[in-house]
Amino acid sequence: MGLRTTSKEMDQKSQAGPSGSNKSSVSLVSSLMRSWKITSNPSSQKSSNSNSNSYSNLSGNSSGDNRLNSGNFDAMSKQQTAAIKSSSSYSPLRYSTPVSGISVGESPRPLLYSNHRNGDHESSIKKDAYFKDLDEDWSAVIDDYNMPIPTIANGGISRSNSDNLTSTSLSKAYDPSLPLSRKVTNNSMKSSSSLGTNITQQGTAQSSHNLSYPQLPQLQKSVTSELKLQLEMENERELQKINSIMQRITKFDCIVSDKKIINQQELRQISWNGIPSIHRPKVWKLLIGYLPANTKRQESLARRKRQEYKDGIKHIFTEEHARDVPTWHQIEIDIPRTNPHIPLYQFKSVQNSLQRILYLWAIRHPASGYVQGINDIVTPFFQTFLTEYLPHSQIEDVEKLDPESYMTEEQIGDVEADTFWCLTKLLEQITDNYIHGQPGILKQVKNLSQLVKRIDVDLYNHFEAEHVEFIQFAFRWMNCLLLREFNMSAVIRMWDTYLAETSVETSSGSSTTFQSTGAAGTGSGESNPHTPLQPTNPTFQTPGSDYHSPSSHTNASSKNISSGENNRLRYSSLNEFHVFVCAAFLIKWSDKLMDMDFQEIITFLQNPPTAEWNENDIEMLLSEAYIWQSLYKDATSHWQ
Amino acid sequence: MNSNVTSVKLVLLGEAAVGKSSIVLRFVSNDFSENKEPTIGAAFLTQRVNIDDHTVKFEIWDTAGQERFASLAPMYYRNAQAALVVYDVSKPQSFIKARHWVKELQERASSDIIIALAGNKVDIVEDGGERKVATEEGQKLADEEGLLFFETSAKTGQNVNEVFLAIGEKIPIKKPNEHANNANADGSNDNNRVDITSSDNNAAAVSGCNC
Repeated sequence: MGLRTTSKEMDQKSQAGPSGSNKSSVSLVSSLMRSWKITSNPSSQKSSNSNSNSYSNLSGNSSGDNRLNSGNFDAMSKQQTAAIKSSSSYSPLRYSTPVSGISVGESPRPLLYSNHRNGDHESSIKKDAYFKDLDEDWSAVIDDYNMPIPTIANGGISRSNSDNLTSTSLSKAYDPSLPLSRKVTNNSMKSSSSLGTNITQQGTAQSSHNLSYPQLPQLQKSVTSELKLQLEMENERELQKINSIMQRITKFDCIVSDKKIINQQELRQISWNGIPSIHRPKVWKLLIGYLPANTKRQESLARRKRQEYKDGIKHIFTEEHARDVPTWHQIEIDIPRTNPHIPLYQFKSVQNSLQRILYLWAIRHPASGYVQGINDIVTPFFQTFLTEYLPHSQIEDVEKLDPESYMTEEQIGDVEADTFWCLTKLLEQITDNYIHGQPGILKQVKNLSQLVKRIDVDLYNHFEAEHVEFIQFAFRWMNCLLLREFNMSAVIRMWDTYLAETSVETSSGSSTTFQSTGAAGTGSGESNPHTPLQPTNPTFQTPGSDYHSPSSHTNASSKNISSGENNRLRYSSLNEFHVFVCAAFLIKWSDKLMDMDFQEIITFLQNPPTAEWNENDIEMLLSEAYIWQSLYKDATSHWQ
Repeated sequence: MNSNVTSVKLVLLGEAAVGKSSIVLRFVSNDFSENKEPTIGAAFLTQRVNIDDHTVKFEIWDTAGQERFASLAPMYYRNAQAALVVYDVSKPQSFIKARHWVKELQERASSDIIIALAGNKVDIVEDGGERKVATEEGQKLADEEGLLFFETSAKTGQNVNEVFLAIGEKIPIKKPNEHANNANADGSNDNNRVDITSSDNNAAAVSGCNC
């Protein structure tokens, strides 16, 4: 942010002193420090001409680009949508029309997947007005929350002891007394250094150049202007990327730590565009309504829910509990088959954890019970919550490390509990997907076909002609929330948005009920630890008597239906949005599919070429879904 | 390759985790993986085999085994000309389930459907594991109900191709393009051919299509 190395600035650099030279040579480290100062401590800018120069860019063009890089597709989509709507001549029949405005494709990939970054420069002018607004909004945020500047400055510069930090966060993951800002500042430095080996290496190489300052002018002279321009562009892009990431981290920090009551709406808005990995565990718990918005209550509630879970597990292994053997065995069979390509899920401790979570969930929800696919859905939660116990430099290694190597048994139990409750909260919103006959899925598949009929009638007709039925490929999309279609990192990014899609009113509403009833539940749980939770909490559709005999389906399912209807009203947004994502996903391949016959279509859709998809691709998909949702909002009115 | 291609719609049924997908994977790709993700809904695969002077193209719907997905099964067996019902020789429960599937197919599927019964995972027995369903039991059910019967191992490949060949031999030879879903039944559009003739236990000439 604010470090656009325009040629004008390049000229200025010789007069601007050391910091100016840094700018043109783009030392990653120093620019990181500097940019971070810019975003957090405007007053320090006045000390240096060149800095204030670049700061003035903050609310100018570059911020628009940064926003894009940071994945603010929400904003982009809104703008696109507005543009589309205002153009009366536009007929949204085929997909390519609206998208061509988003990304100007010079990439060899089809138009739809072209990297956002390619489009930035071409379209930045158009978007300036919009992003300027956002940017003002952003500076307002700084003023509003009075960021703890000194802490950040100290943390960013002098606190480099990662072991210290790790042990702190290990032992006090939920301690609100731990100043989060300190943690985060440290993290932000680290996370930005772990952005990718490319950047890191380049950064290191360049910073070593920087140390010997007098060589710099020679370096500059020796490169041709073209090369220089290319380098500039690259550096600029990387800087923007890093800056925007740091900006986001700081902003999340603001929202999550600085207030007594977390602003759920604000959190949802910013989370829609992706959550920094260091914030993800906590933000997910907030978004799904597991942790309350009231920060003072978070710790006690987490402790209580963890104890409840542990009591429930303890009960399973007592003799009083008549084990549901078929369910237990089914889960046991499926656990080794869950994410078989990811090492994490081959560790015995992880398999045991997942088995306990799934079994406890299944017996407490007898109307659905364990359904294949839930074993997939549990994994993003589990994996994400594990990262809370890893040093921030190792978050990306979570898929390779045995949790037993860095966590105590107690901590693993805590992660299990968090996972269990968040899984419960998520599945609560899609109850109809897993009850007998799976009406929720059938309905979603039908909605998808109707939507495609409206958005892309050619494709719809082609499917009809080839006798392709939507349920033949889309059943899995609904049953596993597209988890089987993407790699784990893409799925986790997608879930940032999905969890943010649970609508604000419902979630804050449910979190209050959760608190009050949760307290009642704990009371009974503590008085008699071997008694399972009474269904005081709306989470449980299971009548208490059903706990021991999960076979009494009639009673449970009637209860379930009523709560299902309730949920549909309260939680329509996630289900609805998912259908739009599926539509966007399908229409993405429209041109290809039009040339295929039945067999090729089914085979293609069963194995879509998404193995290499990264966060950018997912963000593109989500923003496309957002556009379709905005355009076809009326189509969904009868879905409820 | 002979141009007389008969398409056969085949559906796989059976309890969860008996090895339906593994049998198909062995047949189609001559491959095996120990921990295959559970099938959700149903998976579609195709494979061609040469039987005598004509080609049989299997269009296989590999259904999910879990009870909750059972309501989808009729959609897949309704128009099927052949069904392969699979159980796990080490799991008696899966044999009971196989019996149910046979019964349901005879009651509700097309009356001339060819049904084959496969007792899978015999490799476990050969490795000293415990067999819970005797060969005779499977054979008896097959005799009673008029089914083809094989004991198979997707892991070793034992009898996998044989099952499909036996089914293919019972299919009456038809003219191509009889099925709406099969516009390219003459094979001219097929690519990604996988040759699995190297499979040791493969008596007839088998050539694969993995598309």
